[in-house]
Amino acid sequence: MTVQRSRSSYRVVAASAVTAGIIVVAGCSGTPAEDEGAGTLSVLIAAPQEGAGKILEEEFEKAHDVEVEVEVVPYDQIQSKVTLDVQSGTSAYDVIQYWYPTVGALAEAGALADITDWVAGDEDIDQADFIDAVYQPYTQYDGKTYGLPIDGDTHVLFYNTEIFERNGVEPPATWDEYVDVARTITENESGDGVYGTALLGSKSAFNIGSSFFNRLATMSSDPIDSAMPQLDSDVAVEAAQAMLDVSEYALPSPLEIGFEQALPQFLAGKVGMMEFWTDLGVFAQDPEQSQIVDGWGVVPLPLGPEGSVSGALNAGWAMGISPNAADEDLAKQFVAFASSADTNEMLITTTGSGIDPTRTSTLESEDYAELVPEVAEVNEQVLPNAQSWPTSPAAPEMIQVLGDNLALMLQGNLSAEEAVSDTWDTWQPLAE
Amino acid sequence: MSTVATRTRQVVRRPARRAAWTGRAMLVPAVFAVVVIAVYPLVFSVAASLSDSSLGQQFTDWVGGANYAALFTDGVTLPSLVRSVVFALASAILALVGGSVVALCLDVSVRSGRVLRVLLLLPLMTPPVMAAVVWRLMLAPTGGLFNNVIQTISPGAEPFLFLGSSPAAMISVIAVDAWQWAPFCALLVFAALQTLPSEVYEAAQVDGAGTLQVFRRITFPLLLPSLLTALLLKVVLSFKVFDLVFVMTGGGPGFDTTVSSYDIYRSGFQSFDIGMAAAQTIVFLVLVTIVIVPLNAVRQRAQKGAS
Repeated sequence: MTVQRSRSSYRVVAASAVTAGIIVVAGCSGTPAEDEGAGTLSVLIAAPQEGAGKILEEEFEKAHDVEVEVEVVPYDQIQSKVTLDVQSGTSAYDVIQYWYPTVGALAEAGALADITDWVAGDEDIDQADFIDAVYQPYTQYDGKTYGLPIDGDTHVLFYNTEIFERNGVEPPATWDEYVDVARTITENESGDGVYGTALLGSKSAFNIGSSFFNRLATMSSDPIDSAMPQLDSDVAVEAAQAMLDVSEYALPSPLEIGFEQALPQFLAGKVGMMEFWTDLGVFAQDPEQSQIVDGWGVVPLPLGPEGSVSGALNAGWAMGISPNAADEDLAKQFVAFASSADTNEMLITTTGSGIDPTRTSTLESEDYAELVPEVAEVNEQVLPNAQSWPTSPAAPEMIQVLGDNLALMLQGNLSAEEAVSDTWDTWQPLAE
Repeated sequence: MSTVATRTRQVVRRPARRAAWTGRAMLVPAVFAVVVIAVYPLVFSVAASLSDSSLGQQFTDWVGGANYAALFTDGVTLPSLVRSVVFALASAILALVGGSVVALCLDVSVRSGRVLRVLLLLPLMTPPVMAAVVWRLMLAPTGGLFNNVIQTISPGAEPFLFLGSSPAAMISVIAVDAWQWAPFCALLVFAALQTLPSEVYEAAQVDGAGTLQVFRRITFPLLLPSLLTALLLKVVLSFKVFDLVFVMTGGGPGFDTTVSSYDIYRSGFQSFDIGMAAAQTIVFLVLVTIVIVPLNAVRQRAQKGAS
């Protein structure tokens, strides 16, 4: 009996030790085998760019004997995903698509490879063809290059021609006129569910941030400082006030309205005008999702008293290379391919890609002008003058603070002046 | 004699020592699991809370209590803690009351209620993100189900901002959370109802007690320990709410629905300030403990009283 118990005890001890061993080994075996990535390229793509990601995957695979694995993640999780990938040593991604205001933070965290020499030395990249207003903020941090632009996003003003005709109004040229037009339409037609405008006021950066920077870029006589946007100026308060002024005539409620909510309402003919990305022109002409085919127009954003035709670079994307890319040359080939003039032209003339011009040659492309003539004409005026959001390492936090305070303003808890000055005060230690 | 006694002691000691070592060895997986699951994250969180850490560069500098000092003055963290308590207690009580009503109804129709019971479990089985998306659409100011009903009843009325105004947004999120978890409470209460002794009810019937009297003097007191257990579980679950807030309101309007879990997420994964997120987590942990410990004590007392 004693012997049996003893044997069974040894078995239990052995089983316990094996179990513990398995747990330890399992916990430590997170790194893939070294040869696993051979012949494959792992590309991280933001969700709004999924359509473009699929096209790039197919086209690159056609031209090269490699497998491209595209992983799509929500846009606001790219930075944490990439940073954790590098920090943990997992190195799951070779090519990283990033939202350009995060270029400083990603570079500082060591999540993007410095590609300055390659970009400067490779004539095929044709650096000079990139629109300078796009190229500089998208790719540069601390005098070095960390990526190449893929999508030159900016906002223009779309309007519903039928609603404008019904209400006897013209596209606004100034932000004051913008409020007047919105008021007229909302007062006349809100009972029927039609509103003068849709103000993107939801707290995510792409929405409330775009609404603010649109106004700041077109009201100020000075360009936005991408290291520290000039929120200590009167024009910044006026930009915030312009949001507040129009909010009561906008599709309810601005704090709940992001681009996902505003787009279907505009395409359903329920919104008179809307600041939006230029690819809305393609959606608006698609009869499957639009009830306003041939019933819309587009103009540059309204201006402030001292402003000039411009816009803000809202939600633009670039592609960089992971410092731990398994095959750096292959990653470079993909980035060069994705940012090339041919690819950019192919994407901007493909419905649903969500891509805008990044190069002078594609901005002036005949095919692009033929597909969306009105948008191409406006884009040609706006994009070369578009202005940047902050891009320093502190930019993500700066943008979040700005969004929080603007949301409190739209909620009625802060005045425009308080929202801007509180943001400026919070930014000071971040800038250090 | 003494030699025999010594040998006997040695024989007895060896198995005793062996058994002691066996016992210790058997504890290894459990201890390892506790260290990995509980101790390491806690120690890491405490250390991170005392450091200047970002997502990209952790433990760059020791800052002592600076993160704690900052969270008490940032104007967001403390209100979010208060909101967490309000949310947890309100949604737990609402879910428990709703679940209890459902359980009592099921108890009455126990034979014919099988299909109904499955249907009632649907909210619980719906992934929270999906539930949040559906409710967000239903509560939307334009095109949402509830505002369409309001428009039908009162054409031309201003849309009601369920998720875009105060305090409607918080009430809406609490209601949706309670809707989702009421079936969980109903299940627990229904199971407890099945264990109540039928003799007591028969005696009450003989004595001519009414339905309300039976509930107040028999069912509720006997059910109380189970209700408190369900409440405790639900409060813990409610403190952890994140998905509903993330999808339905994004913490807004303003900060009206920014509860602690969402605030910690913002610090860690939007501002990438891991030091601050860790400090917020520790303070949140203390708050949850302060709420849970007395509730657990009441539950234990009720259980002792019942037994």
